[in-house]
Amino acid sequence: MTFLSALLAAEPAKAAAQGAAEAHGPVGDIIKLFGSFGVDGPHLLVQIVNFSILAFVLYRFAVKPALGQMEERNRLIEKGLADAQASTQRLAEAQQASEAKLNAAADEAAKILAEARNSAKAAVEAAKAEATAAQTEVIAKAKAAIEADRVKMMNEVRGEVSRLVVETAAKVLEQNLDDTMRGRLNEAAVKQLAR
Amino acid sequence: MSAASVRAEAKRLLALSLEGGAVSSDRVGAVLAALTKSRPGHTLRPLLRAYLANVRRELTRGEARIEHAGPLASAEADAIAAHFTKLLGRPVRPVARRNDALLGGFRVRVGDDVTDLTASLRLANLAKSLS
Repeated sequence: MTFLSALLAAEPAKAAAQGAAEAHGPVGDIIKLFGSFGVDGPHLLVQIVNFSILAFVLYRFAVKPALGQMEERNRLIEKGLADAQASTQRLAEAQQASEAKLNAAADEAAKILAEARNSAKAAVEAAKAEATAAQTEVIAKAKAAIEADRVKMMNEVRGEVSRLVVETAAKVLEQNLDDTMRGRLNEAAVKQLAR
Repeated sequence: MSAASVRAEAKRLLALSLEGGAVSSDRVGAVLAALTKSRPGHTLRPLLRAYLANVRRELTRGEARIEHAGPLASAEADAIAAHFTKLLGRPVRPVARRNDALLGGFRVRVGDDVTDLTASLRLANLAKSLS
C-alpha cells in the first residue's frame, strides 16, 4: 500500500456514502455495488496513479535495461553467428587456397624435380664429355711426350755415337799419322788455300 | 789529359811508327825518345800504355800466326803469308807454331780473322753433322 492509499483509506465509508448520496439511478447503484466491494473513485484513482508510477519505475529501471541487455545479447549473438559464418566461409576459402597452394607447390616441386633431373643428366653428360676430352688430351700429350723423348734419345744416341766415332778416328789418326803424312796434309792445305 | 785525347795521341804516335805500312823498330825508338824528352813523367804513363797497345795490335795485324800439325816447310809458311798479304793488302809475316793435336793441316790467325784448314776441324764438323 502506498502512502497515498493509506492516506485516502482513512475515510472510505464516508466517501462512499457521500458518493451514494449524490448519485441516483443505475449509476448510483453501480457505484454502490463497487463501494460494497471496497472500490471507490479516489481509491481507484490513487491505485491507478500508484500503478502508473510502479509501471514507470519498473519500465525505467528494470524492463528497459533488461530489454537493452537482451537486445545487446541478441546483437552479440547475431554478431557471433555472423562471425562464425564468416569464419566458416574464410576457413573454407583458406582451405581452398591452401589446397590450391598445395597443388601449385606440388606442381612446382614436380617441375623442379624434372628440371633437377634434366640438369643432373646434362651435368653427367658434360662431365663425361669433359672426362673423355681430358683423357684424349692426356693420351695425346703422353704420346707426344713419348715421341719427343724417343726423338731426343735417338738424337742423344746419335750424337754420342758420332762423338765416339770421331774421337776414336781422331785418336787413331793421331797415333797413326806420321810427319810424312802430316806434311802431305799441310801441302794439300796450302794448295787449297791458294785456290 | 782525358782518355779520349790519350787514345787520339796514341793513334797519332802509331801512325808515326809505321814505315811502309809496317811497324818499324827504328821509328818506335825515335817516338819513345821524343816522348821522354817532351812530356812530363806523370802524363807519360797512360799515353805509353795506349801506344803499346796500339803497337801490339798493329804487330798482330801484321802477323800470320800459323798453327800446324807435323812439319811445315818455310816455303809453305811464306806462301801462306804471301796469300794473306795479297788478300789484306798489307805486309804479313808468318809466325809458325807446331800443334799435333790439329791432326793435319793448319790454322792461320791474322788479326781477328781465322782460317782453319785442319783435319780436327773437319772431324768436328763431321761429328756436328752426324749428331
